[in-house]
Amino acid sequence: MTEDAATPPTPEHASRTSRGEPSTFLEAIAEALFEEMIRDEAVLLLGEDIGEYGGAFKVTRGFLDRFGPDRVVDTPIAEAGFTGLAAGAAHVGLRPVVEMQFMDFISPAYDVITNYIATSRYRGAGAQPLVIRGPVGGGGRAGPFHSQNVEMAFFHTPGLNIVYPSTARDAKGLLKAAIRSDEPVIFEEHKGLYRAPFLREVLPVDDLVIPLGKARTAREGEDVTVVTYGMMVHRCLAAARSLEEEGVSVEVVDLRTLLPLDDDHIMESVRKTGRLLIVHEDTRTGGIAGEIAIRVNEQAFEWLDAPIARVTAPDAPVPYAPDLEDAFLPDEAEIARAVRYLAKY
Amino acid sequence: MAGSARAPYVSFMRRYPAYDPPEYADWTPEPREAERWEETLDEHPRRRAVAGELDRAELLRLHDALVQNRLLDIALARWVRRGILSKAWLGTGEEAVTVGSVAALDPSRDHLCPMIRNAGGCPMMGMPLEDLFRGYLATADGPNGGRDLHVGDAAHHVLQPISHMGTNVPVMAGVALGLRRAGEGGVALTFIGDGATKSGEAHEGLHVAAALQLPVLFVLQDNGVALGTRGDQHGVGSLQRWGELYGIPTTHADGNHLLDMHAATVLAVARLREGKGPALIHARTFRMGGHATHDVSEARRTFPAELFRTWGQKDPVGRFEEFLKREGVSTGELEELEEAVTARVETAAETALLSRDRRPDPVQALYDGVSEGGVLVGLERRPVHVV
Repeated sequence: MTEDAATPPTPEHASRTSRGEPSTFLEAIAEALFEEMIRDEAVLLLGEDIGEYGGAFKVTRGFLDRFGPDRVVDTPIAEAGFTGLAAGAAHVGLRPVVEMQFMDFISPAYDVITNYIATSRYRGAGAQPLVIRGPVGGGGRAGPFHSQNVEMAFFHTPGLNIVYPSTARDAKGLLKAAIRSDEPVIFEEHKGLYRAPFLREVLPVDDLVIPLGKARTAREGEDVTVVTYGMMVHRCLAAARSLEEEGVSVEVVDLRTLLPLDDDHIMESVRKTGRLLIVHEDTRTGGIAGEIAIRVNEQAFEWLDAPIARVTAPDAPVPYAPDLEDAFLPDEAEIARAVRYLAKY
Repeated sequence: MAGSARAPYVSFMRRYPAYDPPEYADWTPEPREAERWEETLDEHPRRRAVAGELDRAELLRLHDALVQNRLLDIALARWVRRGILSKAWLGTGEEAVTVGSVAALDPSRDHLCPMIRNAGGCPMMGMPLEDLFRGYLATADGPNGGRDLHVGDAAHHVLQPISHMGTNVPVMAGVALGLRRAGEGGVALTFIGDGATKSGEAHEGLHVAAALQLPVLFVLQDNGVALGTRGDQHGVGSLQRWGELYGIPTTHADGNHLLDMHAATVLAVARLREGKGPALIHARTFRMGGHATHDVSEARRTFPAELFRTWGQKDPVGRFEEFLKREGVSTGELEELEEAVTARVETAAETALLSRDRRPDPVQALYDGVSEGGVLVGLERRPVHVV
């Protein structure tokens, strides 16, 4: 039997680009994982139900057949246990990618991540080249424990990187960069984007690696800067399109990486427009808007023509009932209202 | 060691009444010590066989490490007394657990995560003694430049613990995962205090190690006390079968009997190398000091004095020395070994003290190593206009 004949086929959903087909956000994630596992034998996956079952969202369907149980490791429901496992493996030459089935379940691993992984290099115990990825975000009628955004639970911890892409292209390129990074990366994937038809795109066939720590301008504008990330990028873009008809020109900055924040990109836009709205799906108090606002205060205060504003979820758990959840999540109308306020200030 | 009060040197290790527990100061073996030593080995014929295969040089190497562990702790206690350190976490009375188990590792391929109380195992992996002292002194040239008092050394396969004691359990399971992938037969060893057995991460670590059949050895160092809480205050159920609950083969060893501890570990490690999954050794011992040097008197009030007398009689150093004498090692040889180890520890401590004034530079040491996406964030990032 030749080696080719012995190698199971590449899963269809993880090889669309090679066939010239468009990929969804989820397929882009799968491609990034698959390509990195082919490229580097040190990469291995750990998580609940990711092997035989292919993962709760089927990101890793077919991976077990291709890479075997040493590299696609089905773990027990023990987030602290398998995140610790990843930390240990990262000490001895492996590059683990941990899947949290839902990022809400990262909380039991908080100690390992903040006390162990984030401090490791600093303590002299060595780098922790690992990624912790998984679905986040509301809108799925999934209730308080399958809808959270977790970035701010980790934002305050030196030593971590936090990435939160909003497009299929960024998802793939940033995940590949995260896997290659020697730093521990928390990688948030909004589950509302996973299979969103409007995000399907034909990705570049060459090795797509997008550097961490760099924001992008999702839409250029002159009057108001909106800094956002994740699902809210698309709501802000929708608001910007409708505001254009009213004669308000909105610039939308997609942070892509939350830690480290791309200060330069934010400041450049704020210095151009003089007005800043920060939009996040995460809850309000202790949200990233507060940190961005103080940084703008420190670095671009003189350019501001209006107070900094924010649109966020309220300080509550994510509710289950559709009416409640819709009211909870920031929407296009709310964003547009805030932009109008700033534009007229 | 120079400048210390010494008990009269008799036919066993010299004692340091200023630093030793009082039970050790005039230590003599129990009347039935020889019989008890042999009875313990008789309980496990395979351990007896392993112990029986150790030649004289190997026995003396074990003794060397044991005495070194004791003297390392005494040197640290002396530094505390002199005000050089504010406190130190010692392994007094528990040295046989550390030395017996670590001696079963192959430093070239195995990995160790000691608790701070197992520092005596670090030099056995090849870590310079000086670095242990420099770590405590927090000097710029210490193992991590003064950023943490826990020290390790990747080059010698020593991973320092963090203070969240359960956390090291799944981490070492992960090291074992990597070692299995490397395919060189390497194993991981970590200690779990009886206190840490109550933490969720220790349970999860055992479980993932068992579920994935990883080559990791857990040494449950059961000294009967978690900081200031006696085991019986919280001990619901026995730790004897803890590992078995997760499907991990569990054996028991006398943590104050160097050969029992060592042979049990040798057998467990051999099993790990065969790919038969994790193992756990439950080692019963007793902490003869405090949680650290600052609470020794409180610790001694935590338990009845009788318990200190009982365990004091089981001094692992004295017991092993008695065994060596029965094996025909002369007091002259023992004295010679002890002098050599004493000089080694003393030299290391003196050498480390030379670095005492090498304080870490804040800009360098505070931020170097905490990376933000590859960009180091330093004091220079503090905005100048913010006072």
